[in-house]
Amino acid sequence: MAAGVAAWLPFARAAAIGWMPVASAPMPTPPPDNRRKQDGLILLNVSGQKFQTWRNTLERYPDTLLGSTEREFFFHEETNEYFFDRDPDIFRHILNFYRTGKLHYPRQECISAYDEELAFFGIIPEIIGDCCYEEYKDRRRENQERIQDDEDSENQNDMVPPDMTFRETMWRAFENPHTSTMALVFYYVTGFFIAVSVMANVVETVPCGTLPNRVKQVSCGERYALAFFCLDTACVMIFTVEYLLRLMAAPSRWNFIKSVMSVIDVVAIMPYYIGLVMTDNEDVSGAFVTLRVFRVFRIFKFSRHSAGLRILGYTLKSCASELGFLLFSLTMAIIIFATVMFYAEKGSSASKFTSIPAAFWYTIVTMTTLGYGDMVPKTIVGKIVGSVCSLSGVLVIALPVPVIVSNFSRIYHQSQRADKRRAQKASKAAGQALVCKANPMFDTHHNHLLHCLEKTTNHEFVDEQTFETSLLEVSMAKHPPHSPSLSSGSSSQGLSCCSRRNKRKSFNVPNSNMTGGHRNSIQELSTIHIRERPITNSRSSLNAKFEETVPLNCKQPYITAAIITLPMPPVTRPEDDGSASSPDYSQANIVRVSAL
Amino acid sequence: MGHRRRRCKRRLLRVARYLYRWFTGTLVEDSVVEDGELSTVCYRPEGLDQLLQQTKFTRRELQILYRGFKNECPSGVVDEETFKLIYSQFFPQGDSSTYAHFLFEAFDTHKNGSVSFEDFTTGLSIILRGSVTEKLNWAFNLYDLNKDGFITKEEMTDIMSSIYDMMGTCTYPCMQDDAPKEHVDNFFQKMDKNKDGVVTIEEFLESCQKDENIMQSMHLFDNVI
Repeated sequence: MAAGVAAWLPFARAAAIGWMPVASAPMPTPPPDNRRKQDGLILLNVSGQKFQTWRNTLERYPDTLLGSTEREFFFHEETNEYFFDRDPDIFRHILNFYRTGKLHYPRQECISAYDEELAFFGIIPEIIGDCCYEEYKDRRRENQERIQDDEDSENQNDMVPPDMTFRETMWRAFENPHTSTMALVFYYVTGFFIAVSVMANVVETVPCGTLPNRVKQVSCGERYALAFFCLDTACVMIFTVEYLLRLMAAPSRWNFIKSVMSVIDVVAIMPYYIGLVMTDNEDVSGAFVTLRVFRVFRIFKFSRHSAGLRILGYTLKSCASELGFLLFSLTMAIIIFATVMFYAEKGSSASKFTSIPAAFWYTIVTMTTLGYGDMVPKTIVGKIVGSVCSLSGVLVIALPVPVIVSNFSRIYHQSQRADKRRAQKASKAAGQALVCKANPMFDTHHNHLLHCLEKTTNHEFVDEQTFETSLLEVSMAKHPPHSPSLSSGSSSQGLSCCSRRNKRKSFNVPNSNMTGGHRNSIQELSTIHIRERPITNSRSSLNAKFEETVPLNCKQPYITAAIITLPMPPVTRPEDDGSASSPDYSQANIVRVSAL
Repeated sequence: MGHRRRRCKRRLLRVARYLYRWFTGTLVEDSVVEDGELSTVCYRPEGLDQLLQQTKFTRRELQILYRGFKNECPSGVVDEETFKLIYSQFFPQGDSSTYAHFLFEAFDTHKNGSVSFEDFTTGLSIILRGSVTEKLNWAFNLYDLNKDGFITKEEMTDIMSSIYDMMGTCTYPCMQDDAPKEHVDNFFQKMDKNKDGVVTIEEFLESCQKDENIMQSMHLFDNVI
C-alpha cells in the first residue's frame, strides 16, 4: 500500500482545508516543494526482455539498485536504455514490487536463484508479503538444511580436528555414536546391557519349579538368587560407569543433571544402591521391595537409542491438555452413570452395587466395552441404564480419540509453524526496520499535515510511551527536581496530566519510515511555531474532576487539589532533541499538576 | 404485494431444499451466489476533455490524479469504507473515521454513497484551484452537516469532536472532554455576529475574510498536486 498511501497524500492535504476556518492559531508554513522533474518513462532491458515503467515508480525505494543512482552504471548509451544481464522471469516480480509495494515469491522458481536476484537488486527478502513469506522461509530453510546435511556428511568422513579436548571428544562420542568405532561399541554394549537387565527383571518373577524340600513353587529369582544378583550388579556397574562418564564429558554439568535422561539413569540405578545399603533393616525392606519396581525405568533408557520413543514422549507432553480433557469428560460420564446405576440397583437384593464408588468399576468396565461380568445389574431399570451406559461409552471413548490424534498432529505441526512464524516475525520486523525508506518528500509533507492538525486543535502529539510513562511518573510520588516553584500537594482524585516532554512523536505510517534524518525537519518545523500560545484550559476547568485516563497508583483517600502554574520553562529532559526549541519556551504558560 | 409473496416463496423453497438435503445426507452449502448480484461494480469516468472543462486542472494533473485514484480503487469508485481506511492511514494516532465520514459527505455531491472520479476532481478543483470565496463555501458546506444553509452549534460540535478525535489520546496537553466544546464556543463567538445561535454563509464569509490567519491558510495547500 505504500504506493497508494503516497498517492493519496495530496488529497489528504487538500482536505485539511476543512480545518482552516476553525483553527485559532496560524498554520505552519508548508515545506518547500521542489518541483520534481517531469515524470518520464524508463526503459529497462533485462536480457532482451523490455520493461518500462515511470521513473517515479522506481524512485519510491531509493535504497535499491533501481531506485538509486546505482542504475546509472547499467545505462547503455547506444540504445538509451538500462541493460541488465539477469533473469527476466524473476525480474518481473522485482518490478512488480516497485509498482505495488508488495514482493511476491513465485513458487516455481528456485529459492537460491531468487535470493541471488534479490541480492543483486538490493532488496531485502524480509519485505516479502505475508501471502508468500511463509512459503519463502520454508523453502529457504529446507535448502539450508539440505546444504547443512551435505556438509555434515562430508564432515563425517573428515578427520576429527585435533584440537578438540578429550572431554569434547568423549561428549561427541556419546551424542553421535557413529563418529568412531569406540563410540559405536560403547553404544551397542550399553544397549545390550539395558536389554539384558530388563529381561532379567522379567524372568526373575517366572515360577521356576520347586525347591527340593519345599512344596510351593518358587520364582526363578529366588532359586537362582546369586546369579541374578551378579547379573544385576554387572548391569548397574555398567550403567553407573556410563552415567559418570557422561557427567564428566557434559559441556554443562548442571544442564545435564537437569535433563530427563539423566534423571532416568539415576532412578534406574538407585534401587540397587539403596538395597546394598539397607539389606539388614527389616522395617525398610518392605519399602525396598517396592523400590525394585523402579528398575523397570531402565527400559526408558532405550529412548537414547530410539528416536521414536523420544518423539512419542514429546507428543504426549504436548497433547497433555487434550488427554486431560478426555479424562475429565470420562470422569463426568462415569460419575453420572455410576450414580444412576447405584440408585437403580439399590432396591435389588444382594446387589453388588454397594456404593457409588463401587459402581465406578462397573461403569468403567462397561463404558470401555470390556465387560468383565463381575458386576451385573439385576433390575430392569438397571439393565436399561447399563445398556445406555455401554452405548454412550462407545461414543465417549471413540469420539475424543480421533480428535486427540488429529489434535496431536495439528498441534505438532502448528507448534512447529508457530515457532517458525515467531522466529520469522523477529527477523521480519528487523528487516522492515531496514526497509527502503519511502519518498522523503512524503514524510515532510505528512509531518506538515500533522502539524496543521496540531495547530488547529492546540494540542500536540505525544508518543504513547512517553505519555504513559509521564502519567505513571506523575501518579507516583516523584518530585520533579527541576521545577522549584512546584508546591507539594496531594492528588486530586482522578486528576492526571501529561508532564512536559520534548520528545517528538514518531508515527508508523505503513511502509513509510521516519528515520532519524527527518527529525531534523521536524525540529525546523517546530521552531517555526512558537510555543507562547497559552493553553486554553483555564485554572477553573483544571480544578474540575476529569475522567480518569489512567488509574492512579496512589490510594490516598483525602483529596486536596493543587494547581501549579509554572511561568518558567520546564524540563530539559535528557531526551531533549534540540536546543533550538528550548529558548522558545520561555513564554510558555504551562500548567502542571503534580500528584503525590 | 407480489414482491413480498415472491420473497416468501423463495424463502420457503430454500427451507424445503435444506430439509431435503438434510434427509438425503448432503449438507454441502451451495457456494453459488443465489442472489444474482454482480460482485464487482465497474465505473468509468467521463472523458478527459469533459473533465478538463469541468475542473481547473491541467491535462497532466488530471492524468496523475487518475492514475493514483485508479491504483487505489480499481473499480472506479470509492465507497465510504475504503475512504475511511485510506484517510486513517495518515492519522494513525487517533480515530479519523468521523471526520472522514464528513469529508465523504462533502465530496459525494450526488449523494449516492460512493465517490466517483468526477466528484473527486470537482471537489479537489474547488479546494486547490478555486477562489478564496469558493474555498470558504466548500468549507461551509463541509461544516453544514444537514446542508440547510445554517451551521448550528450541534453540527459544529460534531465537526470539532471529529477533528479532536483525530488527535487521539496521547497529546500534550491531555485531551480533555470539553476541549472541542470550548473551541466551538470560541468559534461561535467569533463567527456568529447576530448571536442567534447559528452561523449563516454570509456571517461565515464575512468573519473569515476579516481574519488574516484564515485567509493566509486558505492558500496553504495550493500546490499539492
